[in-house]
Amino acid sequence: MYGGGNTFEKLQTKALKDEDPQLLAVFEARIERGEKIEPTDWMPDLYRKQLIRMIEQHAHSEIIGALPEGTWITRAPGFKRKLALMAKVQDEVGHAQLLYSAAETLGKSREQMIDDLISGKSKYSNIFNYPAFTWADSCFISWLVDAGAIVNQTANARGSYGPYCRALERICIEESFHLKYGHHCVIHLATGTPIQRKMMQEAFNRWWPPMMHFFGPSDKISAHTEVLMKWKVKMDTNDNMRNQFLDMYVPKIWELGLTLPDPNLKKNEETGRWEYTEPDWEEFKRVINGDGPCNAERLAVRRMAEERGRWVRKALLSPKSKYVTPLA
Amino acid sequence: MESLDPRLNRIDLDAFNQTKPKTRLDQFETYEVFVQAKENKSYQHEGVVHAPNEEMAFLFAKEQFSRRGTCTGIAVCKTENIKTSPTTDNGRNVYDEYEPPHSELGEYEKFDVFHLFRRGKQHLHIGKVEASSYDEAFNKSKALYNNDKTVLNVWVVKTENIMFIDENYRDIWYTLSEKQFREATAYRALDKIKKFKEENSLS
Repeated sequence: MYGGGNTFEKLQTKALKDEDPQLLAVFEARIERGEKIEPTDWMPDLYRKQLIRMIEQHAHSEIIGALPEGTWITRAPGFKRKLALMAKVQDEVGHAQLLYSAAETLGKSREQMIDDLISGKSKYSNIFNYPAFTWADSCFISWLVDAGAIVNQTANARGSYGPYCRALERICIEESFHLKYGHHCVIHLATGTPIQRKMMQEAFNRWWPPMMHFFGPSDKISAHTEVLMKWKVKMDTNDNMRNQFLDMYVPKIWELGLTLPDPNLKKNEETGRWEYTEPDWEEFKRVINGDGPCNAERLAVRRMAEERGRWVRKALLSPKSKYVTPLA
Repeated sequence: MESLDPRLNRIDLDAFNQTKPKTRLDQFETYEVFVQAKENKSYQHEGVVHAPNEEMAFLFAKEQFSRRGTCTGIAVCKTENIKTSPTTDNGRNVYDEYEPPHSELGEYEKFDVFHLFRRGKQHLHIGKVEASSYDEAFNKSKALYNNDKTVLNVWVVKTENIMFIDENYRDIWYTLSEKQFREATAYRALDKIKKFKEENSLS
């Protein structure tokens, strides 16, 4: 579960003009032909670093994203929902592992990535810094946060880096269960008793603003990404992905008689684009930089897992072990 | 704020406010994982697991790569035990363009060979060869398995270094089809929406 374009910071990389022009031409021609880049190919520094950051953030988002939903496993209403939610959370953690491995093929170790998550150096999807107050919140996440992630991930699966595409293909198949399961949960509450409906509506009111942040800052204020689009690292702009998400899901929300807390939300039939109140990007920045309701708790849980598991990992490590970068 | 997770409120999270950076190999070595989705289909590379030994690698691989669909076999192999050729562009055969450096001769033994046919796709298990070194195994597989399909990349691994599941244990996957609760098809709800719309005369 991940939405793109999360950070504003610029990467420190070798300038494009300092790259070997011949190798760069071969690399760009390969992408132009629609072929994938594989780990042993030459690639520009910016491509490598941008992909590491993107895939790593995606992996962290899966790990941290398992927390707000995982909270609800013990209190899920009934055996069936419990089974399904457990399977979903297991999927998310599995996705993190697939993604860490894809990032690893680019040369950053999993140890370093997890260290950077815990120290706060690496970011993860901002939406998971918000709390899941009720069961209905966890239903919202399963349906719509995953729906957003699918929009983002299906786009990225057409990208140029082989290992990331392969991981995303597998992830998207599993996400289709999350989406249907989440929708099922929301329908159940939205078509239920007045109290259930109220609970669902309140979850929508709480989660809509972070959901609008999910695809990252508006194209009007986010950094230029032409070269990353040309290299098929970024597959579409943040606003286009947001628009695609609204187009696919707002009608499905409205058909359940639910409302969204934005009086300006409507589709402009002439342009085919959705219009909405500009999300509060100052809040988005503030929360990404640590000042959200759950940032501290999320990282504390990771630290706890890290500390508690340390002795087990130490006991299992064979002195003969030797690290090599995974192949594909 | 107090956590919404009652389990977390029973733990003193503040006790974990300092963490040492991870040491090297804290996440163990990597194993490449190959999955056979159906009887008589080729084993296909599916990804990587980090594990302290082969048995754990197998367990992690089973959890990670055979939770869905069908599965009849898994094989794991330490990444360091795979020798790879360079990767060519689509349409160019690596067997025509690459000659492996001579490696040390040993006893004759079996090797498993994997081919990549398209960038972005997975390596497939092609077969076994008998050879006394990795380069001999590469050349033998060129003679045996290089036919009309263009091969972009070759992986060679000593058979003793790759663990395929024992045929007798395949029943671990028999219950896969019972776990419908993790399939999208188990969550149909269109009738419910239709009924809801009719009752509330929403269009």
